Amino acid sequence: MKPKKKKNTKTLKGRYSMRSILKATVASLGLLSLATTGALADAHGEKLTGTLKISSDMSNPAPRAVMEGMVERFGEMHPDLDIELTVTDREAWKTQIRNVLSANPPDVANWYAANRMRPYVDAGLFMDISDVWEDESMEALASTKGAMTLDGKQWGVPYTYYQWGVYYRKDIYEELGLEEPKTFEEMKANCQKILDAGKKCYTIGTKFLWTAGGWFDYLNMRTNGYQFHADLMAGKHDWDSPEVRQTFANWRELLDMGAFIDNHTSYSWQESLPFLVSGDAAAILKGNFAVAPLREAGLDDDKLDFYQFPAIDEDIELAEDAPTDTFHIPAGAENPEAAKAFLRFVVSADNQTLINNGDNLGQLPVNANSSVDDDKFLKEGFEMLSSNSPGGVAQFFDRDAPAEMAKVGMEGLQEFMVKPDNLDKILARLDKAAKRIYDK
Amino acid sequence: MFPKPIEKSSAGVRTAYKAMLPVALLIWLMPLLAIMVFSVKPGADFTTGNYWGIPSSFNLFENYGKVFFESDMPRYLLNSLLITVPTVIGCMILSAMTGFALGIYRFRSNLWIFFMFVAGNFVPFQILMVPVRDLTLDMGLYNTIAGLVLFHVAFQTGFCTLFMRNFIRALPFPLIEAARVEGVAEWRIFLYVVLPLMKPALAAMAVLIFTFIWNDFFWAIVLTQGVETQPVTAGITSFNAQYRAAYHLMSAGSIVAALPPVLMFFLMQKHFIAGLTLGAVK
Repeated sequence: MKPKKKKNTKTLKGRYSMRSILKATVASLGLLSLATTGALADAHGEKLTGTLKISSDMSNPAPRAVMEGMVERFGEMHPDLDIELTVTDREAWKTQIRNVLSANPPDVANWYAANRMRPYVDAGLFMDISDVWEDESMEALASTKGAMTLDGKQWGVPYTYYQWGVYYRKDIYEELGLEEPKTFEEMKANCQKILDAGKKCYTIGTKFLWTAGGWFDYLNMRTNGYQFHADLMAGKHDWDSPEVRQTFANWRELLDMGAFIDNHTSYSWQESLPFLVSGDAAAILKGNFAVAPLREAGLDDDKLDFYQFPAIDEDIELAEDAPTDTFHIPAGAENPEAAKAFLRFVVSADNQTLINNGDNLGQLPVNANSSVDDDKFLKEGFEMLSSNSPGGVAQFFDRDAPAEMAKVGMEGLQEFMVKPDNLDKILARLDKAAKRIYDK
Repeated sequence: MFPKPIEKSSAGVRTAYKAMLPVALLIWLMPLLAIMVFSVKPGADFTTGNYWGIPSSFNLFENYGKVFFESDMPRYLLNSLLITVPTVIGCMILSAMTGFALGIYRFRSNLWIFFMFVAGNFVPFQILMVPVRDLTLDMGLYNTIAGLVLFHVAFQTGFCTLFMRNFIRALPFPLIEAARVEGVAEWRIFLYVVLPLMKPALAAMAVLIFTFIWNDFFWAIVLTQGVETQPVTAGITSFNAQYRAAYHLMSAGSIVAALPPVLMFFLMQKHFIAGLTLGAVK
């Protein structure tokens, strides 16, 4: 079956009567199938009919091909199901989703995990799909379950994520006789040696702010733990608190050493990479998407390596940033049975292996039973997230905090990196903004 | 007021002028040159920090090949053409008629209507963003090429009317009087007397409008989304992956996108200059 592609999300106005008939049919068929195939709980054994409307934001070429491929394969498994796929521009979707979910809800929609789904969960626009997660097979998704859980219920399934961590110049570390640090003390000691050798420890480009968010995420999660960090992002803690101040104090130690490259406010993240390539800086804290350009620039696996951000407080469980992209079922979905089947299909081990391989998304599968491409960084990342991230998985500063708060926050972080003495003013400003934004 | 011809300056000034000219030209063209050089560089040059140096490998065919065969660029170019050509034709037809009416007939409030056309040009179009977007959405024209064309025609007609009306005003009125004395119908006067005389002005206007509309970015991103409808100016960003900007492909794409207006200008140069200098028509 060929998936129908539709761009315009505002159509089908005059079809409500038709729909209600359809709805009734689907409902009765759903009951029927439940009754007849109750024993056959296998996802592939269900007989799905009706229309499955999917609104996707996977608009970039590779993700789009992945989405269309999934629809095609799911359609082959369920020949009686009519699948309508609407692909919306990824950025535009961020402003359209509320409108679409409330006015003309599809059966499946793309979004992001954790706090980013909070507004739609609170507004009752996402369906509680905890029943999908009760299935045994979902245990393989343990690493992201926390990110899909709000108020003790699950509101969607993930389909891809990628790790963050420190990508460093292995050859420089070897030349200077350094080891991958396990603690903050080792990290600082390494850095001092790198500085003594006339290089900078970390490259960063904060022109577009968000890169500083990565540093704060890690420093705060290592200093105060995942839960505190999540609560801070959700507006449940004050910024001007001893905990947050400790995070900034740790950060300041690095700043005072001169660990970061100079003039980082004038570079984008891509413009900060040349420092790593030339060897003027030894490492970068970044998501796995940095690997591709660095490899293109000539850093092969002998020169580039990866380590997990080291522990600062040993009593605190390690937690990672791993931005997760998700599928949800809108509360107004008309064919939830088919939608749930689609979600189960998306997270199945085979599909996860396929869509996340190097030819497709090139990221990490969310299912622990999936296999990862034979790629050093994907393997290390998969290993790290599947087994060495007991504290939880955060989504990244600008996904965990509301958009408005994230902007003010990241401006503050950038300012702190340049003028650490302004910390008091920055924290006061963030608290003031938080009061307004979280409506305390 | 007018610049003194350079030949009249002293020898020293002339030498300095000749020496400075290439420098100024180079600085002036620097961004364009940078884009041209970038368009033949491999993507890795950006990551290694080789912004201004010699390309580490010469990727002309690879980059432009990707632009034409592995991206949606041809579709975007087609969209641009489908948006620009109808707009130019629509504007020419409408403004030739409004220009004729306002330039030839003397009726009450002629001047006021003319002012309304002109005043439209003084509205900063950005403030129309939300109402126009809502309007196209209500009319079902959002994210369609027709919607973009209609809006462009509506908005550009103001400027074109100003252009046409003034040009027709400058035509010798006795020509029209003579035709009327001969008993020629008004629409025939328009078609057979005025329109042929307006050819240079229409050609000049067509070039101008073509360039305006082709280069439009603002309305393209406000009123259209995605590969089915967006013109090339908005489509260039589709070379960006989710995390990463492909500067080498964007540069190559920009050059390709900039070629049609440039070609249009050179091909129509004769008309363009004629249109500007044809103040007095015989």
